[in-house]
Amino acid sequence: MCPECKRTLGYLITAMTFFALAIAMVLFYVPTEASMGSIQKIFYLHLPVAIATFVACLICFAASIAFAVTRDMKWDRLASASARIAVVFCSVVLLTGMIWGKSAWGQWWTWSPRLTFSLVLWLLYVVYVMVRASVESPQRRAIIAAVYGIIAFLDVPLVYLSVRLMPDIHPVSVELAGAMKLTLIAWFVPVFLLMFGLIALRFRIDQHTATTGSGDQQSIAAPMTWAGGTL
Amino acid sequence: MNTIATLIAKDLRIEARNRQTLGLVIVLGVLIVTVLGLGLGTQNNVNGFSATAVLWVAYLFSGVLCFEKTMAVERNDAVLSALLMAPIDRGMIYLAKLLGNLILILAVAAVITPAGVLFFGFDLSVAPGTFAGVMALSILGFAAIGTLFAAMVSSTRLQGGLLAMMIFPVTLPLVLISTQLMMRAFRDGLPPGAASIGVLIAFDLIFLTLSWLTFEWVLEP
Repeated sequence: MCPECKRTLGYLITAMTFFALAIAMVLFYVPTEASMGSIQKIFYLHLPVAIATFVACLICFAASIAFAVTRDMKWDRLASASARIAVVFCSVVLLTGMIWGKSAWGQWWTWSPRLTFSLVLWLLYVVYVMVRASVESPQRRAIIAAVYGIIAFLDVPLVYLSVRLMPDIHPVSVELAGAMKLTLIAWFVPVFLLMFGLIALRFRIDQHTATTGSGDQQSIAAPMTWAGGTL
Repeated sequence: MNTIATLIAKDLRIEARNRQTLGLVIVLGVLIVTVLGLGLGTQNNVNGFSATAVLWVAYLFSGVLCFEKTMAVERNDAVLSALLMAPIDRGMIYLAKLLGNLILILAVAAVITPAGVLFFGFDLSVAPGTFAGVMALSILGFAAIGTLFAAMVSSTRLQGGLLAMMIFPVTLPLVLISTQLMMRAFRDGLPPGAASIGVLIAFDLIFLTLSWLTFEWVLEP
C-alpha cells in the first residue's frame, strides 16, 4: 500500500472511530430531553454540521481570493472542493432542521429567519456549483467562480441581517446540561474531521485529474494581460 | 465623467435606434404582472400588499433580460473588443454600463409599477416617499450585481438561465428587506427602520465597490 493510501486510511479510521463514539454517546450516555423526547438528539448532529458548513464556505471564500490574487489553479480547485462539501453539509442542516421542525412545531417548513438563512446559503452554493459546470473554459470558469465565490460569501452576513427582520420561532440559544454539552463537543470532532477530509479528498481528485491531462493549466497570466486577449 | 457620459450616450443611442431592449422588457414585465394577477387575484384572496411581491418578481425578471440585452449589444460586431482597446479604465466601463442599466430599469419600473398598483388595488398614496426610496435603493443594488454578472456570463453558452440563476440568490436580501419595509409602511403605517435602511445601503455599497473592483477581471472580448 502506498504511503498516501495509508494516510488516507488512517484518517478514515480515526474519523469513523470518533463517529462511533459520538453515536454511542447519543444512544447510551446523554439523557433524553424532557419536553421534545428523543427527536431532540438530532440537535447533536444539526449544530456541528451547520458550523462546519460555514467553515467550508469560509474556505471557499479564502481560496477564491487567493486565486484572484495569484491566478494559481490549485486555489480554484480548493474553492470548488469546499463549495461542493458546503452544499452537502448545508443539505444535511436543512434536512435535520426540517425533521426537528416537524416534531417541534408540527410542520416541515416555516419561514423563520434561521431556516430562510440556511435555504439562501444552500441556494448560493448550489448556484456556485452549477455555474462551474456551465462554463467550459477552465480559465474562464475559474475567474467567474472566484468572483461569485467572493460575492456569495459577502452576501451571507447581509442575508443574516435581512432575515432577522422576520418573526422567529427558532431557539436563539440553548441551555445544555453537562452530559449534553460533552456529547455536543464529541459530535464536533468527527463532523469537522469528515468535512476537512472530504474537502481534501475532492481537492486531490481534482488536482490529479488536472495533472493527468484534462487540459487544465496550473496557472494563468495576470488579469490585465488575460483581459487584453493575450491568452 | 465625460467618458462615462459618452459611453452611456452610446448605449442609449443604440437603444433609441433599434428600440429592442426597452420594448421587450416592458412587455415582459407587464406580462408577469398580468399572469401573477390572474393567478392570485381572481378569487379576491390577496390584498394590496401582494403588489410588492408581484412587482419584485416583475423587476427581477425584466432586470435580468435588460442586463443580458445591454451586454449582448457589446458582443455584436466585436464592439466589446474595440471598447477594451480604447484607453478607458475598466471601472469607467462598469459605471457607464451600470448607469445605462439603471436608466432602462427605472424606465421599465415606471410602466410596471402603475400596472401592479392598478391590478392589485395597492394604495401607494399612504407612503409614496418610502416606496420610491426603498425601491430606488434596492434597484441600485440589483443593477450593481446584475451588470457585473451579465459581463461574467456574456461569453458562456448558457447566458439567460445562468444569469438569472446567479443574480436571484444574491439579491434575496434586497427582496426580503424591501418587502418587510413595505409591510411596515403600508400595513402598519410606521416609518422605515434605520437598521433596515442601513442594510440596504450596506448591500449597495459592498456590491458597488466589489463589482467596480472585479469588473476588469471578468471582461472578455
